[in-house]
Amino acid sequence: MDFTWSKDQQALREAVVELARAELNEGLHERDEREEFNRAGWDKLAAFGIHGMPFPVEYGGGGLDALTTVGVLERLGYGCRDNGLVFSVNAHMWTVGTPLMAFGTDEQKQRLLPRLCSGELVGANAMSEHEAGSDAYSLGTTATLRGDRYLLSGSKTWVTNGPIADVIVVFATVDASKGPNGISAFMVERGSKGLSVGGKLRKMGIRTSPMSELFFDDCEVPVENRLGREGAGKSLFTHSMTWERACILSSAVGSMERLLETSIAYARRRKQFGQSIGKFQMLQSRVVDMKLRLEAARSALYQAAFLRDAGRSIFLEAAIAKLQISESWVRTAEDALQIHGGYGYMRESEIERELRDAIGSRLYSGTSEIQRTIIASLLGL
Amino acid sequence: MSDAAQIQAIVKDFVLAEFLEGEDPSELKDDTELVTTGILDSLATLKLVTYIEEQFEVEIDADEADETHLNTLADIVRLIQSKR
Repeated sequence: MDFTWSKDQQALREAVVELARAELNEGLHERDEREEFNRAGWDKLAAFGIHGMPFPVEYGGGGLDALTTVGVLERLGYGCRDNGLVFSVNAHMWTVGTPLMAFGTDEQKQRLLPRLCSGELVGANAMSEHEAGSDAYSLGTTATLRGDRYLLSGSKTWVTNGPIADVIVVFATVDASKGPNGISAFMVERGSKGLSVGGKLRKMGIRTSPMSELFFDDCEVPVENRLGREGAGKSLFTHSMTWERACILSSAVGSMERLLETSIAYARRRKQFGQSIGKFQMLQSRVVDMKLRLEAARSALYQAAFLRDAGRSIFLEAAIAKLQISESWVRTAEDALQIHGGYGYMRESEIERELRDAIGSRLYSGTSEIQRTIIASLLGL
Repeated sequence: MSDAAQIQAIVKDFVLAEFLEGEDPSELKDDTELVTTGILDSLATLKLVTYIEEQFEVEIDADEADETHLNTLADIVRLIQSKR
């Protein structure tokens, strides 16, 4: 494995940090307080090419490999403190663009991918229900074929980008007798008859990423908007989740590096008992642990992307990356807060927001417990 | 032994060892349904796909990891052979 960045890759990684610092951070504290999505920031990232990075040039994408993509997203997370905005972009890429690329027909790809890559359309993924969280395939939402369209009935919750989505990948049971093999995926477009969007769900963290429930009351979906064949929902969801687990926390690695640097700078600057607090060994130990976690998280991320580029299925590596990065991110944010002491606990410092933003990563894209279950199973247990 | 028979024997051994421990090997036939009966659930499918890719040095596409391509030993052998 060679993780040396080429000149082009390095230029992209540097450019995205510059963009983020110059264009994406201003007003973040207020947006977080108001739980407000930064659409202008979304558009700037789209214009940079972030949304389309891993998709083919012929569909308006950047044609980049997985390793380059996660490398750029890592630096986006380093430069952009708006973890919610970055999360929304990731959800859009990995749970809408990616399955569309793998399972979509040529017509579907040509119709939607260029507009998803350009950021004109916002994508969302709707799988979870009130009674179907980690037990993801026990769906209550149904799809019934009537002539040239399906009628979807049921509801979804925790839909990232739900309030602003133009295209939603919705999973529903077509044939309940087949269990998980009776699930199909549909692309439901904003304004579809029978679709209604619930109020914005209020969250502990990543508050600048909007989330809502969705309700389907005989929601009409044309047959040509089914994604993959009937019954392909399980393999499609596995595909989306594998990509998401491998890549969605790329930016968290950058966030961890930012938190480490911020903490070191503070520890050098802050004086107590007549010296910098960074001279105290207990604090040094905490900083060293932050660095160890950062490097382990980065290695897990790069390895998963490298193996995907090599054509390997990465079920194991994706689960490892998700688990390693999410747990490391939370503990690193806790350490950063502890190093900053009372100042870190204050909302103005933004350290407490970083911790709130990090905690959700233990839950989405499969909880840490689900990642451990996958890893143990793939290890032969 | 033909190529197909060799592949079938290797996959059958894996399925018996991983998902049908203690079962009579003669009960696992070419047309025994694995996905539709739940023998291959979502986690088991990940294990099988990973094993096939490593053992036979082939790449299984995302839309092939399903009932259509993995439901029986015969389906699995056909899928592997189509990629060699």
